[in-house]
Amino acid sequence: MQPFTTLTAVAAPLDIAKLDTGMIVPGRFQRLPRRPGHNDYAHVFLHDLRFDEQEQPRAQFVLNQSAYQNAGILVTGPDFGCGSSRESAAYATLDFGVRALIGASFGDVYRGNCMQNGVLTIVLPPDIVNSLMRQLQSQPGTTMTVDLPQQTVTAPDGTQHNFDIDATRKERLLKGLDDVGVTLQYLPQIEAFEARYRTDMPWLKHLI
Amino acid sequence: MTMPLSLFERIWARHVIVPNPQGEELLYVDKNLVHEGGTFLAFDQMRTEGRTVRKPKQALAVTDHYLPSTNRATAPASIANPEIRRVVEALDINAREFGIEHYGVHHARQGIIHVIGPELGWTQPGLLIACCDSHTATHGALGALPVPIGQSNQLRHVLATQTLWQKKPKTMRITIDGVLGKHVSAKDVILAMIARIGIGGGVGHAIEYAGSTIRAMSIEGRMTICNMSIEAGARIGMIAPDDTTFNYLHGRPLSPGGGDWDNALAYWRTLPSHPDARFDRELSINASELAPMVSWGTSPEDSSPITSHVPDPASIADSEKRSRVKRALDYMQLTPGTLLDSIAIDRVFIGSCTNARIEDLRTAATVVKGRKVVIPAMVVPGSSQVKRDAEAEGLDKIFLAAGFEWRDASCSMCGGSNGDSLAPGQRSASTTNRNFEGRQGPGALTHIMSPAMAAAAAVTGHLTDVRSL
Repeated sequence: MQPFTTLTAVAAPLDIAKLDTGMIVPGRFQRLPRRPGHNDYAHVFLHDLRFDEQEQPRAQFVLNQSAYQNAGILVTGPDFGCGSSRESAAYATLDFGVRALIGASFGDVYRGNCMQNGVLTIVLPPDIVNSLMRQLQSQPGTTMTVDLPQQTVTAPDGTQHNFDIDATRKERLLKGLDDVGVTLQYLPQIEAFEARYRTDMPWLKHLI
Repeated sequence: MTMPLSLFERIWARHVIVPNPQGEELLYVDKNLVHEGGTFLAFDQMRTEGRTVRKPKQALAVTDHYLPSTNRATAPASIANPEIRRVVEALDINAREFGIEHYGVHHARQGIIHVIGPELGWTQPGLLIACCDSHTATHGALGALPVPIGQSNQLRHVLATQTLWQKKPKTMRITIDGVLGKHVSAKDVILAMIARIGIGGGVGHAIEYAGSTIRAMSIEGRMTICNMSIEAGARIGMIAPDDTTFNYLHGRPLSPGGGDWDNALAYWRTLPSHPDARFDRELSINASELAPMVSWGTSPEDSSPITSHVPDPASIADSEKRSRVKRALDYMQLTPGTLLDSIAIDRVFIGSCTNARIEDLRTAATVVKGRKVVIPAMVVPGSSQVKRDAEAEGLDKIFLAAGFEWRDASCSMCGGSNGDSLAPGQRSASTTNRNFEGRQGPGALTHIMSPAMAAAAAVTGHLTDVRSL
C-alpha cells in the first residue's frame, strides 16, 4: 500500500446522497480481473453515472467535466459507499486516482476497505462539507490540501478544518502498512507458535 | 482452578498467537480452503502487491461453484459463458502460480469444497479451518473450528500470513435429545431449530450441537446440521468428536496414518466440552416430536412441518414480522391457509453442500425406487467420489430409471453460479440451504427440505409428506 502523508489535488464535488457501492462498481463488473499496474477498475468507477447505455460519457456528470479530469480528492454526499461489502468499490476508487474522500458520513465496510487500500476517508460536520461543496462548485478545478500528520483539510478559501482519525488507522496510512503488513510485524510470534505446534502436533508436521 | 472449557473455547485458545488492543486475537489457521468464486480478487491483489502464499501446503483449492454439472469432458474450454469460463480458469492459473494444490474439473477427487474436505480426511478435529464461504461451518461436524472469511481481503490475509484477526464470539449450546421418527432427518432438525430461533437467533455466537440425537447421528447428518448454522446467523457450528468421528476418519486418504494416528487420536479425545463448561446461551430441542419440514417463505426460518398450512400474516402479532411474511408470501405466490402438501412443484434439485453426500443419495433413492418422476428432477452428487460410490451401489440406475438426471459434482442449482437455475416463477423442491428471493435464479420460488422430501415431491409433483408414500 502506498503511504499517505499530505495530498494537494483537484477536488471534485460529488453532491449525491447515499451513493452506494453498487453504484460505485455495478454488480456486472465484479468478475473483472485486476492486473498489476493497469488500474483495471478505473473504468468501472461510478460507471453508470459516468457513461450512458452506449458507453458514451454523460457530459453533465461532474467527473466528466474538464475541470475535474485529474481529481484526486472527492467531496461526497452523506452515506457515500453504503450498501454491499464489495471490496471492488475501494479498488475502483483508488484505480480512478482518488486518494482522499471528504464527507459527513460513509458506509462502514467501504470506509474500512478504502483505508486498507490507502484511500483516506475524512468525516467532517455536515455544514463544513456543504461549505466545501459550494466552494468547489463555484470554482471548478480548484485544489484542496489534506494533511494527515496534522489531521487538517485546507478548503479552497484557505480555511483549515481539523479531522479525527483512529490512531491505529493513521499510523497504518502514514507507514503504508495494510493489514497484512501489520500482521507480519508479528512474524516472530507466528513462527514461534508454529515451532511449538510442530512439536505438540507431530501428525501435522509435514504441513506446517 | 482452571475454567472448565467448552470444545470451542479449547480449540480457540489453542490457536491464539497474540491479542491486539481492539479486543481481537490473532489466530493461527491450520488449513484453508479456496474455491473459484470471487477469490481471483485476492490473488490479483497479492500479485499487485508482490506477495506470496506463506504456507501453500496448508491450503487446498477446489473448483465447485461455477463448474457445469454436465458435459464436463472438454471443460473449462467448453464453458459457453466467457465470464464463467474466465473465473474457472483463473483458479487454475492462480493455484499454479501461487503453489497451491488444486482439485480442478478433471481431478478424481473434485467436488463441493465442504464435501471433499471431510471425505478426504483433510478436515480433522481440533483444526482451525478457514474458508471463503458462508457454509464453512460444515467442517465443524468433525470437531474442527470453522471460520468463514471474505473472498477478497480476508482470504488474502490468510494466504499471506496463515493467520486471521478475530473477535471471540459468545458461545451457545443447542442440546437435541430424542429418537428421530421415520423419514425425519438431520435437515428437519436444523430447519426446526432455525424456525424456532430465527435467522438472527445465533448472531455473534459459536454454536455447539450436543445431545443424544446428535450422538446417534452419522457424520453426514452432523454435517447437514453444522452446515446451516449460518442460516441461524451463527458463523461457527461445531460437534464434539467421538467414536463416530474417529471411525469415519480412520483410513481416509489424508487422515493421519500409522503412529501419527494414535497421537492425533489421543489429542482429539481431549477436545470435547468439559461437563461443567458454561455457555452464554443454552437451548434444547426434543427431536422425537419433529416431523419432516418444508420452507414456505423466503428465509430458512420460514419453515414448518409438512402437515401444516401456509401461515396467515394477519395472525402474527409482531408488525415487522407480519409485513416480512406478507412480502415473502407475495413473492412465493402463496395464499395463507393453503395446505403445504397441496403446493405444486415444477422442478426438483437434490444436491449442494447441505445434502449431497452418499447417505443423502441413498435416502432419496429409497423413496424413488420403483417410482417415476412427474416433473423434471436432477441429482448433482456432492463430489466426484460420492458419484462413483453411488454408481458402485447402483443408485444412479435407480435415479435414471425413475427419470432423474444424474449429473456431475458442483454447487449447481443451489446458487445457480454455473448457470443451472430456475426460470422466473418456477417452483422448486430443493435440498439446499437457502430459499432467498432469486437464490436459484431471478424470480425463482424455492422450497427447501430433506433429500427424502425432495424425492417424494419429484414422484408426486407437489410437496408431499414422504411418510405417506
